[in-house]
Amino acid sequence: MDRQKTTGAMSEAELAELLSQVRAGDTDAWGELYRQHAAAIFRFCRRVLPTREDAEDATTEIFMKVKQKLGTYDSSRPFMAWLYKVASNHCWDTLRRRRIRQDLETGDLETLPLEHPDPGQLERLQLESTSKEVRTGLAKLPDRARMALVLRYYADMSYDEIADTLGVRRAFVGVLLLRARHQLREVLAGGASAAEAAAGRGT
Amino acid sequence: MSPIDENPQDRLAEHFDEMTGLLYLERQLDAERARAVEAHVAACLSCRELLRALENEAVWLREALVSDDESIPARVLAEPQRGTIGWGWIVAFGLGIGGAYTLWTGVIQPSLTQAAQAGFTQGNILTMLFFTGAFWKGWDTMRSLPEFLAAATLGGVAVWLLRRHWQRFTTIAFVMGALVCMLGLPPSAAAAETKHGDPNYTLAAGEDVKNDLIVLAARARIDGDVDGDLISFSNSLIVNGHVKGDVIAFGQEIIINGPVDGNVRAWGQSLSLNGPITRNVSTWAAQLEVDQKATIGGSLMLLSQSTEIDGQVGGDFLALVADITINGKLGRDASIRGDRLTIGSTGEIDGQTKYVGRRQPEVASGAKLASPIQVTIPRRGPDYTHADYYWHQVLLWGASFLFGLVLLLLAPGLFSDVVHQTKKAGPALGFGVLFFLATPIAIVIACVTIVGIGLGVSALFLYLISMYAAQVFFGSWIGELLLGFSAGVGPAVGRLALGLAVVRALLMIPFAGGWIWWLITAWGMGALILAAYHRMGHANAQPAAA
Repeated sequence: MDRQKTTGAMSEAELAELLSQVRAGDTDAWGELYRQHAAAIFRFCRRVLPTREDAEDATTEIFMKVKQKLGTYDSSRPFMAWLYKVASNHCWDTLRRRRIRQDLETGDLETLPLEHPDPGQLERLQLESTSKEVRTGLAKLPDRARMALVLRYYADMSYDEIADTLGVRRAFVGVLLLRARHQLREVLAGGASAAEAAAGRGT
Repeated sequence: MSPIDENPQDRLAEHFDEMTGLLYLERQLDAERARAVEAHVAACLSCRELLRALENEAVWLREALVSDDESIPARVLAEPQRGTIGWGWIVAFGLGIGGAYTLWTGVIQPSLTQAAQAGFTQGNILTMLFFTGAFWKGWDTMRSLPEFLAAATLGGVAVWLLRRHWQRFTTIAFVMGALVCMLGLPPSAAAAETKHGDPNYTLAAGEDVKNDLIVLAARARIDGDVDGDLISFSNSLIVNGHVKGDVIAFGQEIIINGPVDGNVRAWGQSLSLNGPITRNVSTWAAQLEVDQKATIGGSLMLLSQSTEIDGQVGGDFLALVADITINGKLGRDASIRGDRLTIGSTGEIDGQTKYVGRRQPEVASGAKLASPIQVTIPRRGPDYTHADYYWHQVLLWGASFLFGLVLLLLAPGLFSDVVHQTKKAGPALGFGVLFFLATPIAIVIACVTIVGIGLGVSALFLYLISMYAAQVFFGSWIGELLLGFSAGVGPAVGRLALGLAVVRALLMIPFAGGWIWWLITAWGMGALILAAYHRMGHANAQPAAA
């Protein structure tokens, strides 16, 4: 997924110009930057935080941080990558502060089934589950699993960025993603109890 | 990761695993392994189907996450407030400063003056009440207000630095434990003898303790002499010997027959003074009896239910008491607030007497008073027709606003969390009512046991603070409802100021005000409990589906 697609139709040149205006203290430019990206960041927060109110609060706070930290942004890197990095750090910190993120890093590979999943069964699951059901299922996953999926498939972060955000080894990111997929499949296939047990183990 | 074998005969038995497939699709395999997977997939239908299913799953996940069936809240769409603080916040802040000033000039400063007139001429009232020799002698050198403020600031910085670690219950337990220890066990213990009763302790007549003496026992009897301070945590304490320092006592029954050269500070069910006390006495006891043999050289300050003064008090007399009888002599001014004042025929007050109470004082014909008693009988209930009432409400608002400001600046994260929890009316009220009713019972149970007194007193302080803080959190939430949310300290201060004004107005409603206070307090306390619960890691909240 191209990160720019989440932010509206602004070209890179326009965005660069807007950022330079914001850095120069142009408040109208800041308002424009906010309007361009607030919805995407709110959705990101909505995917990872417990409630709609949490996501609203977090969006506002993230943009406050962005405003403070914009001077540290390296313009040679994609702005959206940096923005999602700020957002994910904030959300992860929020979850950490609430201590509802405790899923263990240990027990990596041994918790993954070694046999092939049935591709037909996988495709049926994809056909039968609506997007809303997927998001509902996602909400039932342990925080780290949910966060990993959102970082990878919503924010389009690289494995290095995910590892850095979640504070895990890079080699563990693939395991984290695959385990999260398995848990999501279990939830969607009606094995909610198993996933909840996993969540309970994790939280 | 499974090895990939190029031998066609082994292909069916050597399918690569799902992890390898995922890493291949995500371009995380090194070139050699990626080529091996490609070669295997070209010849293996099963693995090809697996790869396709995994790839489709990634697309399906992206679509589900990016697709949107929920509106973006107007609050998010609106640009957050810019760095400037609006005029509303400036007005609110100005009101806050005004409230602080009136609080200082109207309440705190007169109280300090009154305390100074009562013989407590030591810097400030906090120092006087808590630190002057009561818990730690080192505080004697830190009496001045600036030094106290510096210490408080240092404490604030420490709390700020520790705020992230406060999320751990163990840290909270450690801090609370340290606090209780600090209150209960004076650091001066290094120069003190500590005696644990088994279960009782007696210092025999003729024995002399050269240092401070700390006693923890069911019953303590001090017949010998103590050259330093006597500090007692005992159910019953009887002092017959000579104490050259202060007596600081917590217990159910405290009787002091022998001479005390220093001060007496006592918290207990009953305190009986039967000997000479050279300096001041301050006490919080249900019953206080100053025998006719007793003389107090300095002032007597008391908070009591029933008091009888038959002896002599050389300094000022300051009393908050339900029922008081004076048959002895008060050498200087007396300020008494209570329910009933009786001055017997042998009673004598050489200074000015002020009395605030529900009933007229009863003064026997033989009593000697230097001047007529200034009596004030306050009206029951608020006097809505008097400007003072509204002024008092403004002061109360100022006090709660100041308290809220301190909370907001010292612990913004906790403040925000509690206000957030206030939105959950049901759980907050449920927990609040439970906490409101159950905590006093737990405190009483803790205080009944000797060991639990320190814990009980600490819990009582925390309980009272949380009761007061409850209206601050509730008010802040009301402010958010009225003004909407925007991040930053300025808006938070404005919300706090406005919300507390609304709360204060609600509390002023005749008849219903008391019930509203109860409701707000329980609600705010419940929110505090919920926020603390979440921070301690017991939360099991799951994110809602978008």
